[in-house]
Amino acid sequence: MERIYVHPLPVRIWHWINAVGFVAMILTGVQIRYVGLIDMMSFKLAVNLHNWIGFALIANFFIWLLFYLFSDKIKAYHPELSPTKHFRASFRQLQYYGYGIFKGDPNPHHVSAYRKFNPMQSMLYQVIMLLLVPIQFYTGILLWDVKRFSGAVEMLGGVRVVDTVHVLIFIFFVSYVFIHAYLGALGHTPSAHYKAMFTGYEEVDDEHAHAQK
Amino acid sequence: MEMASSRISGAISGAAIDAGRIVAAIVAFLVLSSGAWTNARAAGGAPSDADQACLGCHGTEGLKKTLASKETLSLHIQGKAFAKSVHSAIGCAGCHSDVDLAKHPSEQKIASAREYSVAKTEVCKTCHEDKFKLYEGSIHASLVRGGNPAAPVCTDCHSPHEVSPKAVYQTMASVPCKNCHFEIFEAYAGSMHGKARSASNQSGAPLCADCHRAHDVMAAAASDIPRNACLVCHAGALEAHQKWLPNAGLHFEVVSCPVCHAPTAQRKVDLMLIQSGTQQRVAEQHGIPQFESRARAADAQGKGLDAMELWNLLKTFNTEGMNGRTTLRGRLEVRTGAQAHQLADKTRAISDCNLCHRGGSAAFQSVTVSVAGPDGRPVRYGANKEVLSSVFSVDSVSGFYAIGATRIRILDILLLLALASGIAVPAGHLAMKYAFRLYLKRVEVEKASASAQAEAQPSSGDRPQGGDATK
Repeated sequence: MERIYVHPLPVRIWHWINAVGFVAMILTGVQIRYVGLIDMMSFKLAVNLHNWIGFALIANFFIWLLFYLFSDKIKAYHPELSPTKHFRASFRQLQYYGYGIFKGDPNPHHVSAYRKFNPMQSMLYQVIMLLLVPIQFYTGILLWDVKRFSGAVEMLGGVRVVDTVHVLIFIFFVSYVFIHAYLGALGHTPSAHYKAMFTGYEEVDDEHAHAQK
Repeated sequence: MEMASSRISGAISGAAIDAGRIVAAIVAFLVLSSGAWTNARAAGGAPSDADQACLGCHGTEGLKKTLASKETLSLHIQGKAFAKSVHSAIGCAGCHSDVDLAKHPSEQKIASAREYSVAKTEVCKTCHEDKFKLYEGSIHASLVRGGNPAAPVCTDCHSPHEVSPKAVYQTMASVPCKNCHFEIFEAYAGSMHGKARSASNQSGAPLCADCHRAHDVMAAAASDIPRNACLVCHAGALEAHQKWLPNAGLHFEVVSCPVCHAPTAQRKVDLMLIQSGTQQRVAEQHGIPQFESRARAADAQGKGLDAMELWNLLKTFNTEGMNGRTTLRGRLEVRTGAQAHQLADKTRAISDCNLCHRGGSAAFQSVTVSVAGPDGRPVRYGANKEVLSSVFSVDSVSGFYAIGATRIRILDILLLLALASGIAVPAGHLAMKYAFRLYLKRVEVEKASASAQAEAQPSSGDRPQGGDATK
């Protein structure tokens, strides 16, 4: 096994702050929405925590954004422009997770410093980071002070529209954190990707590591 | 009505009179025609000579008149009380200049005491024009114009022959509002405002007119007037709430003060139809009950509007050709006027967010849809509580949402599905992995045993092994 440096420090810092923050946002969000049914903390504390953690996550988002904007590592997010190629590769990846992995087939995607995401990840992460997360932050800011942003809230169709969008994305993230955590355990060992997200180094087969070079 | 009748016990002609009264009337005629008609009261607070002449008859206890409506109207005037009244300065003729002494008492029938009181407001107007203008814009005047027989005119609040100085009306004992709004006054008297007022009779604590105004009384539930009235004295209320209440400004906008400050009150949601262009309430016109008829038509079951019916009702206000868009603006209120006055000390005010924000909160169990009625008071139509938690609410009640309490139920189901899939997908995948591993192991074992068997068989018999080897 050879070690490849794929997760630079800013990305790791961003990732773990994000991970802890999103879990906290989900927990406080559930408490806010289901007060009376769930009693982890007071409603007011949940609202205040949700607000403060939300702002911390927005600031954290800019660590990610600025790092990638000013680094050639942004290539990891470059989309595959050929739809045929992209969907063929995605299908292979899906086939691997849906069947090949059970038989012990090798992962069709080979990690490298500039191509750390498999085709499905690259598509999903683009949607999450460039669409869902910004929408979630935006709707969250509007809901943080509905009166201050009443113009924008009205323009979007009212507070219920804004809240419903916020909740729908929240629902997506509830499912996502479980599945993301599980997929993270599907490396060559269950802890391989987790370790890499701390150390920055992914372990890859020597053969593929050389092929990348 | 009886009260109104007693208050207009003025100099009305046509009673059964005896000879003594005729003499008094003649004396009165002589005195009045001698130029003393408009004189002020005599020195020492006693009625003037002219007024004494009137009182010659009208000071007689039991003097009364039967009206066309068969009501009995007392014509008796308490001379001493009138002499103390602020109106004694203008004397009887100040208001009753229409009395033709040559024909007095007249045989002309008065239709009813009410009709007489309403007609006499014109007399009040001659001196009190500024106050009358204010009154004309009030809910009281609007109700009078609408023919409401209980709506007050000048003399219902200001007993005409015992008109007191303004300060007298500003005491809890004499405030006239309580004569009609007794239940509300009782609630007020038990409130922290009422207690503070009666404890010291100090003017610092508000009495009715301080919040509702004296003559230009507005329909309380139809405007921001009550809340704005609170903020006149409690000017720093918003800043004080901002210190502990998230989104305090929004709470001020959609929650009426008594919802939290009358802790024993029952709460409800009123969804007001608003013209989005003007931000004014949709107003019902006189004689055209558009809102009620539309609401009834939309409410097929007659059990109050459900979510879809409310959505359909809103559509009828937003059909083509309508002037601007009509939306619903929600507001949390207390259920009755009396409850709105049960204001407690601020230490007892509700500050527990859970009370309103938890699912199934009592505050959101009663819902009405309303427009401003022709007289300014709201016209309400009942709606089911589900209108606040249905998926239709995203469109119909888009501007009113209490986190948690009025959440859309279908999103709860989606969350459960998301949670289930978040757990089931990894669990299923893991189970498949495990099952495959077992299967592959078994296949491997079988293969191994088959190859072991294959290896063992030639050595035992040297029998040829089918055609596979040659393939």
